[in-house]
Amino acid sequence: MTHLPFWLGGIALAAVAFGHWLLLRRSMAVSGRITSLVNRVRHGPEPEPGMSVEELMAAAAAATQAQFGEVPPAPAPAVTTSAPARAPAPAHQGTLTHVIWFVAVTTGGALSMLLSGGWSAEGLLRGQTFSALFQGPLGAAALFVGGTLVGFGTRMAGGCTSGHGLGGVSRLQPGSLAATAAFFGMGVVTSFLLGRLL
Amino acid sequence: MRGADVLVGVVGLALGFSLSRIGFSSYDEVHRMFTFADLRLLFTFMSGVTLLGLVWLVARALRLPTPSDRRPLHRGTVVGGMVFGVGWAISGACPGIAFVQVGEGQLGALLTLAGMFVGNAVYSRIHEKYFRWDPGTCE
Repeated sequence: MTHLPFWLGGIALAAVAFGHWLLLRRSMAVSGRITSLVNRVRHGPEPEPGMSVEELMAAAAAATQAQFGEVPPAPAPAVTTSAPARAPAPAHQGTLTHVIWFVAVTTGGALSMLLSGGWSAEGLLRGQTFSALFQGPLGAAALFVGGTLVGFGTRMAGGCTSGHGLGGVSRLQPGSLAATAAFFGMGVVTSFLLGRLL
Repeated sequence: MRGADVLVGVVGLALGFSLSRIGFSSYDEVHRMFTFADLRLLFTFMSGVTLLGLVWLVARALRLPTPSDRRPLHRGTVVGGMVFGVGWAISGACPGIAFVQVGEGQLGALLTLAGMFVGNAVYSRIHEKYFRWDPGTCE
């Protein structure tokens, strides 16, 4: 597969991240969805979101009126300022939504292969570097151990390449800048060390 | 399935397809990025971040809503990031990429995925037992 030139790839990444915000009203965050699923397995389903503040106020007012027969004063209207418009609250995302997301990302990868010469299966990973570094059971172990470190680290840092690297760094969030420098830095160190085995 | 779930599917599909075409799901490409043997992926990421930052600036200037979640530094940020970096270099996958690799037929990434869920659960257990700070999450 011929890969996109950097500028086209950059446009694609920015477009997908912005599209995620525009359509779903949340920052794109892959490890956050994994965290949600893990939490649901460990602690059971999250309670469905209850009433909004406005609904709660209306219900309280109705109850007060029923009890005391008088209409309470309406809450003062919010002060309108020239502050940027508030985004509508994002829709609640349950387990099904996260599963749909992961199936969709996976399907995107499959579609990319199907449209560029066909899909085929590979036992571990494609390419020369991985098979030169790790063969057979060692390769399987490397993938599982590497994946475990990815899961552990992204949960500890509170984000990954999408949430911190793309979403957070683009808004100059201090935690995201530090996390991105840290994971990129260790990616470089580890890859140079692995490269010495080649 | 609600309307929002359809949109989640559309964006997820676009992400998976783009990451595959960019080459982020290729172990060779990621290794060349981290060893600076080829700067294309690095430039891809940097141009994506820069463009997205410009989009937020324009949106704010037009008084359109932009994401408001804060990502403060906490005690797990740097250590967690470093652990993630080691895992990325070894497995060739960040969380989204492992799914793309599976879709591409790189079936070893199923092990990466299993590890990601295990590692996430292990950290959450350790955190509950020993740590007090709020690790934050992307959600």
